[in-house]
Amino acid sequence: MDLAFSEEQEMLCKSARDFLANKCPKTLVREMEEDEQGYPPELWKEMAELGWLGLPFPEKYEGGGFSFLDLIVLLEEMGRACLPGPFLSTVVLGGLPILEWGREEQKQYFLPKICKGEAILTLALTEPSARYDAASIRTSATPEGDDYLISGTKLFVPDAHIADWIICVTRTAETANPEEGITLFLVDAKSPGISTFVLRTIAGDKQCELTLEKVRVPRGNILGQLGQGWEMVKRMMEWAALAKSAEMVGGDQQVMEMTVNYAKERIQFDRPIGSFQIIQHYLADMSIDVDSARVSLYKAAWMLSEGFPCTKEISVIKGWISEAYRRVAAQAHQIHGAIGFTKDHDLELYFRRAKAGELFFGDADFHREVVAQQLGL
Amino acid sequence: MDFRFTEEEKAFRKEVRDFIQEVLQEVLPSDWQGVDPGPEEEAREEVYQLAVEIWRKLAAKGWIGLGWPKEYGGQEDLAKDWILKEELIYRGVPGMDMAVVQGDLILQFGTEEQKRRFIPPIARGEVKYAIGMSEPNVGSELFALQLRAVEEADCFVLNGQKTWTSGFQHADWCVLYARTDPNAPKKSLGISVFLIDPKSPGITMRQITQMTGLGAFYEVFYDNVRVPKENLLGEKNGGRAIAMYAFGIERSYGLVVLHNARRYFEQLVQYCKETYTNGQPLAKDPVIRNRLAEIAIEIEVGRNLGDRLNWMTSQKILTVLPSCQIKVHGANVAQRVASLGMQILGPYGQLDEKSKWAKLGGRMKHTYLSSVALSLAGGTSEISRNIIAGRVGLGLPS
Repeated sequence: MDLAFSEEQEMLCKSARDFLANKCPKTLVREMEEDEQGYPPELWKEMAELGWLGLPFPEKYEGGGFSFLDLIVLLEEMGRACLPGPFLSTVVLGGLPILEWGREEQKQYFLPKICKGEAILTLALTEPSARYDAASIRTSATPEGDDYLISGTKLFVPDAHIADWIICVTRTAETANPEEGITLFLVDAKSPGISTFVLRTIAGDKQCELTLEKVRVPRGNILGQLGQGWEMVKRMMEWAALAKSAEMVGGDQQVMEMTVNYAKERIQFDRPIGSFQIIQHYLADMSIDVDSARVSLYKAAWMLSEGFPCTKEISVIKGWISEAYRRVAAQAHQIHGAIGFTKDHDLELYFRRAKAGELFFGDADFHREVVAQQLGL
Repeated sequence: MDFRFTEEEKAFRKEVRDFIQEVLQEVLPSDWQGVDPGPEEEAREEVYQLAVEIWRKLAAKGWIGLGWPKEYGGQEDLAKDWILKEELIYRGVPGMDMAVVQGDLILQFGTEEQKRRFIPPIARGEVKYAIGMSEPNVGSELFALQLRAVEEADCFVLNGQKTWTSGFQHADWCVLYARTDPNAPKKSLGISVFLIDPKSPGITMRQITQMTGLGAFYEVFYDNVRVPKENLLGEKNGGRAIAMYAFGIERSYGLVVLHNARRYFEQLVQYCKETYTNGQPLAKDPVIRNRLAEIAIEIEVGRNLGDRLNWMTSQKILTVLPSCQIKVHGANVAQRVASLGMQILGPYGQLDEKSKWAKLGGRMKHTYLSSVALSLAGGTSEISRNIIAGRVGLGLPS
């Protein structure tokens, strides 16, 4: 067993932390919450130059050829910095499925564009039912000549307003089993019939209502096999949950460190509040949440990188961090007192993101159900 | 990063599992539900006899003190030492004696003569050890202990009382913490440690019955008990370092608790699969699924913390912080398993083990009562949190 970062991971972690501390100050984070686009294109370009956007893609597609575990190291730092923008959407929701199931020409078309920062991608999965189950997929794709016409409403689609391409989960056949007849299409976001509307959300991230009205998509833009999409979606949901867990672990860690520092500095009754036992015990419990989450994150990511089945491990970390991050952020507010409750203080950024992260690709209840299935219940 | 066990470790785990299978078939009763390590096996005389037999078998395998230096019969392999412990405890097999940990102390602080005298009998599985730390007025504050040891020409003379001494009735030796200098500038600087023979004249004991109905612990009274000078462990008044080291090597206690709870949890999962209500198994009830999965996740993250702890140990990285984290977490999980188990069993949960109506052998009632002690024993959860917060952990000011 070896639970240390490799030298490369150490470097990635450190350089990402330094870069983001410098390029992604909280003023930018707040600005982007209000910004219509929600991300700074110059920073996006720099991230491409650093090789971040191509990190998990093979070198022949101009990527870095790193593992999912390496990607997790980077995502953790992004969560620590509250980095705004479509990184997870583009790389995890968009790029990885193309790498896994795309035809060679699809890979050659999309992956280098992603690596170079020339294409933003996302996944349009959930609909107004807001559930992550197959029966909720009502958006239809009906064949017409060599094309399909896609119609329906997708909701909570991250970054659709700035996406160049959208992987759209559609229903191409109705059978008794809702998991059959689901097909994924690569949809050009500029196609006629598409409209996006940015929702205002708790974390100020950009999730959209995406309306598709008879959007014409060539048959060649199917990703994977016709009607076989749900198995792909299940895998994609696991990657997404794991990637989001990494951001959440990074945020969780940052909140912990901010709060320990505050408790050491804040003087009341002539002593640092961190010398009071109740504050110490709050922080001790927070440290258990943080450290248990981080090692569980690495375990799941390592298993995924090694190609081991890890459905349970991914749900363990997403189910755990969804509640642990919320607990830690809430306790951090209690320790910070009124100052943490102000809009000027960084803590509120994390408290809001903890909730948003919890809701993204399955909350704790959702993942507990997966674990229950894995226990054979 | 690599979470894999080595091939050697995997092979050893298999060997341990085969051994357990053999013990389950040849030594333990066929309806064996498992016992908690330590106090429970000490307190049930019929189980204790089995534990002694298994202890001897472990010795014959050469598995006692796997982490010890080779010259004292060990393999210097802490990973194997933990694998053995984990498997035995998870399966509820008795026989993991505390002597190994006391052997660690003797190896660290003993004279060469003491090592040669005390270590081989432990490795041969012939001796049991007890620990004399707590006193009626000394719980979490060990260094306030009052049991007095006065040096005379050829021995030390002990007077005072210990309590919560586990397994004293079976012990061949007791590692006893006593005050040798009542005038030391700090309480912690006047303490010495002795290896005492529980059969020495002047020692009397009284069993303490716990709310589980078991009597695993003893009050032990020392009335002019004479201990030879060669039984002093370490320096006179040097007990502080030994106590700190003893706390340090108890690092896996939280994991022991967690893996013991894992057995109860899996029994509960099985019960929910097999028990039908309204024509469907309990396991299909969404509330029960959710609560079981919640605890399954807590167990898994605890095991991951355990992997980290064991890895840090293997790298000789200071493990005070993670061991305290696991101590708190493990006790929480064990109590939650017990609480959920009782809730799921409903009125059946309250039944005694001997009742013909008892479910899961009445074990859930036992763990519901016994797990209360898990956030107390081996350092309370509050003391663990103090340590996490303090100098070696989060660095908060005192």
